Amino acid sequence: MPVDLKQRYRADTEGLGCDVQDYRFEITRRELASLGLGLICTVTRVHAAPVVTRLHVAPDGIVTVMTGKVELGQGLRNMLVGVVADPLRIQPEGVRVLTCDTDLCPDDGGTWGSLTTPETVPLIQQAALRLRAALDETDGVIPKIHFEVRPVDGLAIVTGAHKFPSDLAMPNMQYGRVLRGPAYKSKLIAAPQRKGVVRDGDFIGVFGKTPAEAAQLARTVRPKWATEPLPSKAEMFARFKPKSVPPKPGEGGRYPALIVNGDIARGFSQAVQRHESSYTIANIAHVPLEPRAAVAEWKGERLTVWSGTQAPFLVRKELANAFRIPETSVRVISVNPGGAFGGKQRGEVDLEAARLARAAGTPVKVAWSREEEFTASYCRPAGIVEVASGLDANQNILVWQHRNYNSGASSLRPPYAIPHYSCEFHRSESPVRQGSYRSLAAVANTFARESHVNELADRLHMDPLEFRLRNLEDVRLKNCLERGAEVFGWRRSRGAAVGLACNIEKDARLALFVEMEEPKPGRIKVRRMVFVFDVGNIMHPDGLLNQAQGALLMGIGGALFEELTWDARHITNGRLSSYRVPRFSDMPEIRIILMSRPQIPGAGAGEAPITVVAPAIAAALKGRVKGDLDSLPLAPGVRT
Amino acid sequence: MPAYVLRINGKSHQVTCDPQTPLLSLLRDTLGLTGAKYGCGEGQCGACTVLLNGEAVQSCITPASAVAGGAITTIEGLGTPENLHPVQRAFLDKAAFQCGFCTPGMILGAAALLEKTPNPTPDQVKTALEGHICRCGTYPRIVDAVRMAAQVRRDAR
Repeated sequence: MPVDLKQRYRADTEGLGCDVQDYRFEITRRELASLGLGLICTVTRVHAAPVVTRLHVAPDGIVTVMTGKVELGQGLRNMLVGVVADPLRIQPEGVRVLTCDTDLCPDDGGTWGSLTTPETVPLIQQAALRLRAALDETDGVIPKIHFEVRPVDGLAIVTGAHKFPSDLAMPNMQYGRVLRGPAYKSKLIAAPQRKGVVRDGDFIGVFGKTPAEAAQLARTVRPKWATEPLPSKAEMFARFKPKSVPPKPGEGGRYPALIVNGDIARGFSQAVQRHESSYTIANIAHVPLEPRAAVAEWKGERLTVWSGTQAPFLVRKELANAFRIPETSVRVISVNPGGAFGGKQRGEVDLEAARLARAAGTPVKVAWSREEEFTASYCRPAGIVEVASGLDANQNILVWQHRNYNSGASSLRPPYAIPHYSCEFHRSESPVRQGSYRSLAAVANTFARESHVNELADRLHMDPLEFRLRNLEDVRLKNCLERGAEVFGWRRSRGAAVGLACNIEKDARLALFVEMEEPKPGRIKVRRMVFVFDVGNIMHPDGLLNQAQGALLMGIGGALFEELTWDARHITNGRLSSYRVPRFSDMPEIRIILMSRPQIPGAGAGEAPITVVAPAIAAALKGRVKGDLDSLPLAPGVRT
Repeated sequence: MPAYVLRINGKSHQVTCDPQTPLLSLLRDTLGLTGAKYGCGEGQCGACTVLLNGEAVQSCITPASAVAGGAITTIEGLGTPENLHPVQRAFLDKAAFQCGFCTPGMILGAAALLEKTPNPTPDQVKTALEGHICRCGTYPRIVDAVRMAAQVRRDAR
C-alpha cells in the first residue's frame, strides 16, 4: 500500500462518523510495536463504548486484523482475510489475523453460538470498508462478500509446522501433572508435603523437568481422598423432573427459557386430537482430538497463559479471581486448539498450569491425557423433553407444549406456524459436570420436535414431507424441503429406510434427508444424506461446505452411538478404545445443496447442521431396529 | 538406562531412555518434533502416526527399543513447504482439514497407503485410514485428497 495513503487516511477520517473513533501513528504498547509502526484503524461495536483496535496497517502494507475470537478450525482466519483483503484490494497474503490475545485484541465474546459470522465478521468488514472509504475519499459501498480464500494456515498444517497448545515449549519450562481422585467425585483429605508437590485446597499437582519426571513423581505421591458415589443413569433421569425449576418470563438472554405464543390452554380445549411423547438424550463427550493443554508463566505478579480456550476473556477473569489479582495482571493468549466443539470454554487446564507455575517459579505446561479429557472436563447435558400437541379439524397443528428438563433452551421455538405454543426449559440438577456442546440443546430440542412431528404425520397416515409443508409458512424453509425432496428422490423412496427433518436454527434454514442401510447383520449405517442449507448470504462457500459436512458427520455419532457411561465410582468408557466416535466407515455419501440468498445477512452455520441428524435417522430407522427410537443414542450397541 | 540411535528424517539422534518409552514422547518431548500428535495414547486415533521403514506405525504405542536402527519419517521430513509430498499438496488443495490436529498423522497414513496401493478405490482409502479419527469430520475431503494425490503420483511417472 503506498505510503501517502496513510496521510490521506489521517486527513479524511475526521468526518467519517462514530464508527472510526481513533487512529494514531504512535504506538505506545510494547507488544503492538512488534507489529511494526503503522496505521491503526479502530472501530467500536455499535452502541458500545470502548474503542477497540481492529486493523493495523504496517508501513510495508501488511494489514493485521485483531479479533478476540479464536480459530477452532471453523475457518475464522480465512473469512477475516477475505473480508479485509477484498475491500482493501490487496492479496490475501497481505493480511495477518491476530486472534485472541487478551492484551492486544478486543473482547469479541467467546467463540461459540455460531456468532462469528453474523457478529464479528461484519464488524471487521465495516472497519475495512471505512478504511477503504478513507483511502478512496468515497463512501464505502458495501460489496457483496463472496470469496474463496485458500486456507490461511494450510501450509503450516500439512507440513506439521502449525503449533497447537500441546506443542508449545519455552526455555526453562517444566511439565506439570495434576493428581485426580480415584472417583468422579473425590475430595482431597491429606497429601504428603514434598518438593515438587503442590497442594492448594482440593488441588494437588506435581511438576518436573521432563514429562517422565513429573509422571514418576505423580506415581509416588499417595494422597488420601474421600469419595462420593455417582447415582445411576436411571436415577439421574428420574431426578430431572422433580428437581427442576419452571422458567420465568424473560429468563435466559440469548436463549430464552420460555417462549409463548397464543394460549395453550385454549388451544388444547379446541384441539380435536391430542398426542404426547417423551424423549431422552444422553450425556456425550466433545472428544476434541487434542486434549486440553496450557503453558503458564509468572513474571512477578503478572501471569501469562497460552492455551486453546474458546473464551480467553472469561478465562482471564477466572484466573484473576483464582489468584486474587486484577484482570489487568493476566494475559491469556489463545493458541488454535485441536478442536473444541463447545468443550473448551472454561479455564480448567489454564488454572492448573498457572497454579503449578506459581509454585515452580518457571513456566509450566500441563497437557491432559485422553482419560483426563473424558473425566475431568464437562459433557453435553442429558435431558428429558416432553412434547404435547393438539391438531385442529383440518389436521394441522393447533397447539404445542414443549418442555425440556435439564438439557437447555437453544432451538426451543418451533419453525412451524402454530397458533398456540409454550416452549419451556426447566433447569435441573446433574450429577456429572455439564456444559456447552456444539449447538447446545438444539440437538435435544430438534430431535424431540421433529420426532414428534414425524409421529403426528404417522398417526394421520400423511407423508411427513407433506405434513411439514402444510404446517410451515416460512418460504425459505419450505424451499429447502422441496429442493431436498427432489434431489433425494423422496417421493420415489416410499418403503425404503428413509427419514427427514428440518429446522430453523440461528436464522439458518435446513432440511436433511437420510437413507439408512444394514451393511452386515446387526450393523446399521447411514447410506446417504441430502442436506439443503440456506444461511442467507454465503461468504465463503468452501468453508461453509466443510463446516456443514463436519457437523453432519459429528451428528451421526450423537445420534447413533455416542454416550458416556458410568458406574457408582467413575466414568467407565473414558478412552477412545471404549468411547466410539464417527470414523471413515461411518461416512455416508453426503450431498450438500447451498441455497444462495445474497440479499439476506449471513447466519452462523458451524453448528446448525448437527441439529437435524438425529431426528432424520430416527425416522429412517422406524420399524427397522429393536429398541426405542425416542432416546439418544438410538443404537448404542452398534459396532463397526 | 540404555542408549538408542534413532534415524529420523535422515538424521541420527542418540537418546538415552527407558526401553518402554513411547517413540511419540521421544519425538515430541526430547527431540522437539511436534508434528506427531498425542490424541489417545492407546493407538486408537492415528494422530501420532509416523513411518517406520515406510510403514505407518502409531508412535504412541511403539516403544523406543522397537524402532532403534529403523528409518523413521515424521511429517517434518515428508516434504518441505517448497517441495510438498503429493499427499500434502492434495490435502492443501482440497482443504481436507479444519483444526488440522489429525492432519500430520492422516497424511503419513495416506502416504504409506499409496506406496503399497498406488491406485486405491475410495473403499480402500477408508479401510486403510479407519484407525485415524478426524473429529472435525472432514473424512469425505480426505478420501478425495488421497485419490487426488494418487492421480498426481501416477501422472508424474
